[in-house]
Amino acid sequence: MNMIDKIFTHKKKYILSIYFTAGYPKLESTKKIIRILQKYCVDIIEVGIPYSDALADGTTIQNSSKKSLVNGMNLDKLFAQLQCIKKELYIPLIFMGYYNSFLSFGEKAFLIKCKQIGISGLIFPDIPTYIYQYNYQERFKKYGLYFIILVTTHTPIERIFSLSSITEGFLYLVSSTTTTGKNVFFDKKKDEFFTCLNSKIKLNIPKLIGFGISNKESFHWSCSYSDGAIIGSSFIKSIDEYDIEESIQRFLQLIEGNA
Amino acid sequence: MITNKVKICGMKHPQNINSISLLNPDFIGVIFYPYSPRFIGISFPIEIFTTGKKVGVFVKNSIENILKKIQKYAIEFGQIHGDESIEFCEELYKNNVSIIKVIRVNEAFSVIQKYTNYSLYILFDTHCKEFGGSGRKFSWEKISEYAFDTKFLLSGGIGIKDVESIKNVFHTKFFGIDLNSKFEIEPGNKNRDELKRFYHKKKFMKFVDTKGFYGEFGGTFIPEMLWPNIKELENNYPKIIMEKKFQYTLQSLLKDFVGRPTPLFYCEELSKKYEAKIYLKREDLNHTGAHKINNTVGQALLAKKLGKKKIIAETGAGQHGVATATVCAILNMDCIVFMGDTDIQRQAINVDRMKMLGATIIPVKTGTLKDAVNEALRYWIDNPESYYLIGSVVGPHPYPHIVSFFQSIISEEIQQQLKEKEGCEYPDYLIASVGGGSNAAGAFYHFLDNLSVKLIAAEAAGLGLKTNKTASSTFHGSKGVLHGSLTLLMQDEYGQIIEPYSISAGLDYPGIGPMHSHLFYTNRAQFISITDDEAIQAGYELSFLQGIIPAIESAHSIAILPKLNLKNNEVVVLNLSGRGEKDMDSYINYMNLYHEHDR
Repeated sequence: MNMIDKIFTHKKKYILSIYFTAGYPKLESTKKIIRILQKYCVDIIEVGIPYSDALADGTTIQNSSKKSLVNGMNLDKLFAQLQCIKKELYIPLIFMGYYNSFLSFGEKAFLIKCKQIGISGLIFPDIPTYIYQYNYQERFKKYGLYFIILVTTHTPIERIFSLSSITEGFLYLVSSTTTTGKNVFFDKKKDEFFTCLNSKIKLNIPKLIGFGISNKESFHWSCSYSDGAIIGSSFIKSIDEYDIEESIQRFLQLIEGNA
Repeated sequence: MITNKVKICGMKHPQNINSISLLNPDFIGVIFYPYSPRFIGISFPIEIFTTGKKVGVFVKNSIENILKKIQKYAIEFGQIHGDESIEFCEELYKNNVSIIKVIRVNEAFSVIQKYTNYSLYILFDTHCKEFGGSGRKFSWEKISEYAFDTKFLLSGGIGIKDVESIKNVFHTKFFGIDLNSKFEIEPGNKNRDELKRFYHKKKFMKFVDTKGFYGEFGGTFIPEMLWPNIKELENNYPKIIMEKKFQYTLQSLLKDFVGRPTPLFYCEELSKKYEAKIYLKREDLNHTGAHKINNTVGQALLAKKLGKKKIIAETGAGQHGVATATVCAILNMDCIVFMGDTDIQRQAINVDRMKMLGATIIPVKTGTLKDAVNEALRYWIDNPESYYLIGSVVGPHPYPHIVSFFQSIISEEIQQQLKEKEGCEYPDYLIASVGGGSNAAGAFYHFLDNLSVKLIAAEAAGLGLKTNKTASSTFHGSKGVLHGSLTLLMQDEYGQIIEPYSISAGLDYPGIGPMHSHLFYTNRAQFISITDDEAIQAGYELSFLQGIIPAIESAHSIAILPKLNLKNNEVVVLNLSGRGEKDMDSYINYMNLYHEHDR
């Protein structure tokens, strides 16, 4: 059973998934941040693969990627870092990156590495689903990896329905059509969209809401329409390079608070 | 790149045939069946003028009669449209008739086999009780079962809307299409304007598949957040671009505002020096000084049709930014231009021009052209109500297709102008510089499937191919995804994009458009790298030999000339994409350095 499925089957509370950029703030921070997130009961960790030309990312994640690349991060180093902590991990790790990293590393080699270090799923927002199905679906299956798909509040309902039958593990609901880290207004229109989504189509797959989730209020708002939320930019902003553990603990308290 | 033949069938008025012949159809069909509303009649003049091959359509006629008609009207093909027997066809075949046998699609494909021995082509038609065209389409999917060697044509109610689906009929024996009832004012009288639009659209859809691929390059590699924006464009652009009114507005703006057609200039001195006939396509004489405006006029009109009020654009050297700001000014649209802060300093005059034209410049931190594209795409995600007017044949489908189409006016004019000057509508060599590749795409477009034309692309080698200061995307590039399409680009072993270098800001892009990657991979075009040195010297040469100061981008094309083994009287067309005023600093600085070095 894929670890992502386990999380959703045994969930007792809303799922909190945290995104951070590998190799940020320091090249060696990756392992440390993962250990701390696991220690403070985060459910899923998304490890961002830094990329020079990320289209979907706002300035916070772009800057963290730039810093990480300057720090010398690359896929070989990232795989090696994750190999070191593989045995300590009991929560699922997901990679989020861009197609070009996957392509240039060699798709097969990439997937084998992911399997070796215990990755549960991959998010490549710029791979069209027909390319995934045609070229990669079988190989993902072979290595026990999930392909997780994003939909937005502007994706037509029929398309959401069809994409939800292809995505694995969960469906990533983007809270709005923006790049990451924008201040999202959780207005009536959004309420209507998510209410409609929940009532109109019964998706047989868990849903997590991401993009623009930055505090306790938006986290709870997301949870009221889904199985949980994904937080990225505001988490990255909160990391204090000089006291990583303390800053992360403080951030998680702020988000989950009295949940 | 398949070009399907076109047969226009069911004509009966001599004048109508004359006027339709001007469209250069491959076949013209006349019907000799008296019960058809398109029967040509008995008093039809013997001399029919047509540019296409003449096809006589016969239903339940005698061999003797058919042979008589064929002789009388100098018919080249006999289209046998009834349920004639195999022996009947054999007899005609023995009498040297080239047969097109009509097969109704409900018939089992096995019956075709016996006819294939005697037929030059098979024509698939919709089944109906009356013989002759029924004007209804059959399911083209069934064609995939066809496995014989004889080439076939498709017919039955094909109209303008079917161009896309025709493109999707992938069959090695698919030879052409038969047009009839959907293009008529009344039976037998064809509507020339409608047919013209069909040709136009067919040409338009020719080179790219429905998923936006040129061979294995292209496609739409974008995050879901951009999907609605791209989908809106993809669903609407072919329809809008083909509209009569749109074409009219576009043509008049290109003529009166941009100043088209641009001249094709014969360079006597260059021709003497390189012992060939060298022509320059003077895109530098366009309003705003480069070819860029061909595309901005087209796309801005497209944006307007889509109901957009705000245009966003990226720019490197500022030429596309200026062209966009110019068009937005005349069309009364808001204009935001993204520009790397490095380029803002390098291209101060163009920044001032854009501001004067009313555009807002948004600086992209520590960036150049590549980062400006990223930032424009991100802005578009956050502001989907705007229209992203991309400046080159790059980006997700349908952008490469749209931009190359709007730039294709360059090769369209070259064809006409060469015909006037040389009596032949294509050159031996066509040379253009490639950064992203928009001027080259436009200059190559109408010659892509004419293999007699050698296409040469000049790439920027910067300080040299062996240095890391270069922008030579074919030499240093590999397959990857950048700005939403799969193409050749310069990247490190982990797929991080490498900043390119060239003295020419317009060629300073880390990849080439997917169409060019395809041309490179299939050896259709030859890519030659030109260093900064070579380009600058060629720029000086053109200036004092021919009195034209070229943009450094275009100077790269001039520098190709000594590298070709030109023979006497070979015709060379060089696309002079822009003028050199914007580059005066670079020219002067470079020569000063050169002379200092000399001392």
